[in-house]
Amino acid sequence: MSGAAPALPAAPSILTPEEQAHRRLVWISTVDHKRIGILYLVFALVFFAVGGLEALFIRLQLAAPNNTLLSPDTFNALFTLHGTTMIFLVVMPAVFGLVNYCLPLMIGARDMAFPRLNALSVWLVLFGGALLYFCVLTGPPTMGWFAYAPLSETPYTPSLGVDYWIVALLALGIGSVATGINFITTVLCLRAPGMTLRRLPLFVWINFVNAFIVILALPVLNAGLIMLLMDRRLGTHFFLAREGGSPVLWQHIFWGFGHPEVYILALPAFGIVSEIIPVFARKPIFGYGFVASSSVAIGILSFGVWAHHMFTVGMGHAAENFFAIASMLIAIPTGVKVLNWSATLIGGRIRMDVPLLYCVAFLIQFTIGGLSGVTHAEVALDWQTKNSYYLVAHFHYVAVGGIFFALLAGLHYWFPKITGRMLDDRLGRLGFWLFVVGFNATFMIQHVLGFMGMPRRVYTYPDLPGWHWMNLLSTCGAGVMAVASLVLLWNIARSLRRGRPAGDNPWEAWTLEWATTSPPPAHNFERLPEVRGRRPLWDLAHPERPDPPTPSGDIVAPDHTRAAVWCLIASEAAFFGVLLLVFVFFNISPPAGPNSRNSLELGRTLAFSLCLFLSSFTLWRSEAAERRGQRRRMAAWLGLTILLGLVFIVGQGREYLGLFHRGIGFGTNLFSSSFYILTGFHGLHVCAGLIALLIALGLSLSGELRRRGASPLGAIGLYWHFVDAVWVFVLATVYVLPRLL
Amino acid sequence: MTTARLLLTGWSWNPMAALVAAAAGAYLLAFRGRGRPVLFLAGCALAALALVSPLALLASRYLFSAHMAQHLILLLVAPVLLVLGLPAGCRLPAAARGLLRAPVAWTAGVGSMWFWHVPALCDAAAASAGVHAVQSASLLLLGAAFWWPIAAPDPRDRIGPLGGIGYLFSACLACTALGIIITLTPAEVCPIFRSPADPVGILALARRRWALGPERDRQLGGLLMWVPMCLVYLSAIFVELARWYGEAAERAPSAPPGEAA
Amino acid sequence: MTSSPESIFSPDSPQARAIVSLWTVNFVVCALIFTVVAAMVAVGLCYFRGRPGDADPKQVAENRRIEVAWLCGPVAIVALLFVLNLRAMARSDPPPSGPDDLEVIGHQWWWEIRDLRAGIVTANEVHIPVGRPVSVRLDTADVLHEFWVPRLTRKMTAVPLAGNHIWIEADHPGIYRGVCSEFCGTEHAWMRVMVVAQPPAEFAAWEKAQERAAAAPSGEAADGLRLMRSMTCVNCHAIRGLAPGGTAGPDLTHFASRRTFGSGVLANTPANLRRWLADPQKIKPGVKMPDFNLKPAQLDALVACLESLR
Repeated sequence: MSGAAPALPAAPSILTPEEQAHRRLVWISTVDHKRIGILYLVFALVFFAVGGLEALFIRLQLAAPNNTLLSPDTFNALFTLHGTTMIFLVVMPAVFGLVNYCLPLMIGARDMAFPRLNALSVWLVLFGGALLYFCVLTGPPTMGWFAYAPLSETPYTPSLGVDYWIVALLALGIGSVATGINFITTVLCLRAPGMTLRRLPLFVWINFVNAFIVILALPVLNAGLIMLLMDRRLGTHFFLAREGGSPVLWQHIFWGFGHPEVYILALPAFGIVSEIIPVFARKPIFGYGFVASSSVAIGILSFGVWAHHMFTVGMGHAAENFFAIASMLIAIPTGVKVLNWSATLIGGRIRMDVPLLYCVAFLIQFTIGGLSGVTHAEVALDWQTKNSYYLVAHFHYVAVGGIFFALLAGLHYWFPKITGRMLDDRLGRLGFWLFVVGFNATFMIQHVLGFMGMPRRVYTYPDLPGWHWMNLLSTCGAGVMAVASLVLLWNIARSLRRGRPAGDNPWEAWTLEWATTSPPPAHNFERLPEVRGRRPLWDLAHPERPDPPTPSGDIVAPDHTRAAVWCLIASEAAFFGVLLLVFVFFNISPPAGPNSRNSLELGRTLAFSLCLFLSSFTLWRSEAAERRGQRRRMAAWLGLTILLGLVFIVGQGREYLGLFHRGIGFGTNLFSSSFYILTGFHGLHVCAGLIALLIALGLSLSGELRRRGASPLGAIGLYWHFVDAVWVFVLATVYVLPRLL
Repeated sequence: MTTARLLLTGWSWNPMAALVAAAAGAYLLAFRGRGRPVLFLAGCALAALALVSPLALLASRYLFSAHMAQHLILLLVAPVLLVLGLPAGCRLPAAARGLLRAPVAWTAGVGSMWFWHVPALCDAAAASAGVHAVQSASLLLLGAAFWWPIAAPDPRDRIGPLGGIGYLFSACLACTALGIIITLTPAEVCPIFRSPADPVGILALARRRWALGPERDRQLGGLLMWVPMCLVYLSAIFVELARWYGEAAERAPSAPPGEAA
Repeated sequence: MTSSPESIFSPDSPQARAIVSLWTVNFVVCALIFTVVAAMVAVGLCYFRGRPGDADPKQVAENRRIEVAWLCGPVAIVALLFVLNLRAMARSDPPPSGPDDLEVIGHQWWWEIRDLRAGIVTANEVHIPVGRPVSVRLDTADVLHEFWVPRLTRKMTAVPLAGNHIWIEADHPGIYRGVCSEFCGTEHAWMRVMVVAQPPAEFAAWEKAQERAAAAPSGEAADGLRLMRSMTCVNCHAIRGLAPGGTAGPDLTHFASRRTFGSGVLANTPANLRRWLADPQKIKPGVKMPDFNLKPAQLDALVACLESLR
């Protein structure tokens, strides 16, 4: 590489000259993590423009009292789409884009563990975005981005836009879970020699932790969305109170996902800041262990605090207090992080480049957002400030002032690596100051508006004293942010063509991505420096005083496919966990009409359940036979497994038919709805397993199974055993326990 | 009956407490100052308190939330102190070691919590002293089994920090699930607490003075199982993490101690 | 800030005051924390600015003691705030005792207020006597709504069948404005409510006036009543004594005694009423009341009829 291209540093380019000829095909067909990362970032940028325009129209409508620029339903559609777009189509893709680009480079890997799955994930973003914006043709969703039932149900919002919204989020959710699995597997299996888990750059470690939140939280949303879709299209009543359902259950499920989601967005921002601040302060992060552990703490706690979004639905003081404690606890690890970042600055030789400017703004603004978050965790205060503009100000301080600023920091920091060119410094500073001024002008005043009683999501407001000028100021701030965005876009466009060539390591940073060229070659590294600590390039540059070595001994890299299947199992377990809890919720005191006791036949079910359990045994025998190389025996056991699985499916189908004949449909009562959704999804998983097993059988009969390296049978087997294990719980919860208790 | 009177007179004798005291004595005799007697004795004291104090009286037939608090102490807090109190190098016999693998220990700890909240069993434990004794003993023992892979005196019996985090996190999820069911559904896990017989007027105190109606009592019980239990697991996770990163500091010989201070 | 008619910082009830005093402590604590962070950042940026060509600084990676200290600091702060919060919760939202006085029912997009003891039904105006806590049960006829009168009490969602409860109390006579704060559909913005606190005697008089059924109107107003019957107005709107039955829209028995209509969208004057009846969809787009294409003469009659309902 070094000898052949003397001109390359002068004109760095993402695509090689050969690729320039058919560049569209290159982008569409790519499975390279760097290009997928760029695609993610481009999609995020496009949707940022869309979501930003929506925000502008929202602010224009609110600029004056009794304004009639937009009709009420247009306004309602705009804030619904703005929220959904910014969260699912801007911040998440932007985060995934940066992680996709940097994570393999930072751990010295050639690519992600599953490049093609990675490509699927990125195109699902576009697909989900297209589904969401299909509502332009069908009538938009107007129920707000958390779709509280019963407003989101057909009697109150019949628009097809809600259904497209649901399907879009399902598509995005599935893509995100795939991405999460990919991240985890990559970190577990593909680290360079010496790159132990304790030496991971914080960006990688934090996103590794974050990927677990992704795979555990999104299935919760998926389960809720499917229930909502069934309510809307199949006549069930999961969330309709007068028909036996529970609108509060939707809130529990939605926020059971929604609060971890906040951290799915925030943790990567923490990761970016933890990378950038040390580089520009010229010293290591203060308290690596604390920052790393506090991320784990946040990840775990994030699952236990959702109900602080529900302090006004009347859960009772006891429940509210417990959630208040949990929510305030999460402030502790977060506060520790903020203090660690600030302390990293002290004693440094700070270089005030644009990435650091964004990080400093992040620190200040995120602290404000975090502190107003603490006031929301206090139940009594929340009783006043919730659903007011104070809340709007709070979450924008976290989401924009915190997360978005961190993403911009990351963009300015890694742009040279991605494109080989520097972003223009003057334009960068101009954009930064415009963003800071615009952001704070928009949102600081909204705290006050909230105190003065302005509720969120109103398309207009009466001309009460002070409200007009405050709203006008906020709108002006939004205008400044729009200008800042244009400056940013102009800077990117200009620097892509005319930016100063960056060289390999323009910031003199210490992580591995800077050890290769900018942009890196397709195979990422010509040769990797030795990794002995957390800052391999520091050690390389200062052989006389390297970092104190961190211990090596670490877990052994597991097999790719198995690791991924374990992640999938964890994710699916969360999904089934929700459905099981929903079943228990509605059936613990059996509803009137059909229920487990009077409608289900235990005997027959036990018989076909036995077949399913036996199939686990036969599959185990098949795996054993394969390990010993007995192909025919293996195929025989595999065939038997498939047969047993089929018996189970047929048995379940007959049970369904019997129930339908007796008039027990999806929407008969909450028993039937929760029964069908739980057993139905299990049945679908059995079918998916059967298809996988059939493919394995076909491959083994044609002798292809072992041709390409490791056999997939072990991974399929894991999945199959898991599906059987789920049935143990379903059988107990649906069929057996209701009879015993 | 007033709260103060309850605290003074609500003590009751329980033969299980004698066993706990015997365990403390045996520990002192057997190890003679090795190990961490403070922790072990604190564990014994906590367990004994949970069995003889007014809490036990309330838990026996009056308040579901008190029952849950007792559960929490016997299953989680006391056993971990007991296990931590054992002297280093103390190992189980080989046969028991083979049996007490992580999945078994996990099932023992989490399963005992679910098991004793089957309504029939929960009522039986509240109604009969014998069943209650079995319950207390099994909670203590299975609790100790649960903590073994995390806090065993010999590092070879532990499952390592990252495995430990998964172990504890999944336990936390399991108790969350049960906590959610008890808190958010009208489920009556222990029907006996709904309308207990009240020979000494404690119930009136709880219902009126502490404003603990049956509904609220049940909710509080569910929340106790959910949040504080998870916090115990969570704290253990942090200890594991600290150990993991702490190892890094210990093993780094060239880290100048002056710079760290 | 306190000059606003709805600010939470001008509380006028013990419940709302408890929350504001919690806020004050909070603000001080948060300001202190913010100062610490901002000071650290400022010190870093001012005193440790590097110049090109500077050598790297001392590579300090951690300091266990400091870190443990700032782990414990937040723990203490959080504990303090939580205890204060417990106190504020108990003061601002005591448990219900005895039967409820009022039932407030959210509709898309207006509030139905039922006085459970006097049997009065009215809309968008909650009347309470000064100085006495009034026990309110919240319900909804359709989607979730949230009752929020910032100066008087906490907000609370109206969840179907949940029977959520709040106390409303005012120390002084006056009008306290509020809103629906949970997004409830198209006209969420115009779902305002007002609490009218009156001295006990005045309140009793009001109650007495409201208990009366509507008297039969005469003249043009009688024409208006006939129109209301023939044009299906009364299918949704009840007028106690004259046309009972409708429950989908606000009760009109004492319509003219209210200060606003359309859930706060217009002040209740004959001119405004005429505008509203001429095309409700223009004034409150999406409102469930259809446009009847009324002729001017019909409008006059209807306005006369409604204005007679005092």
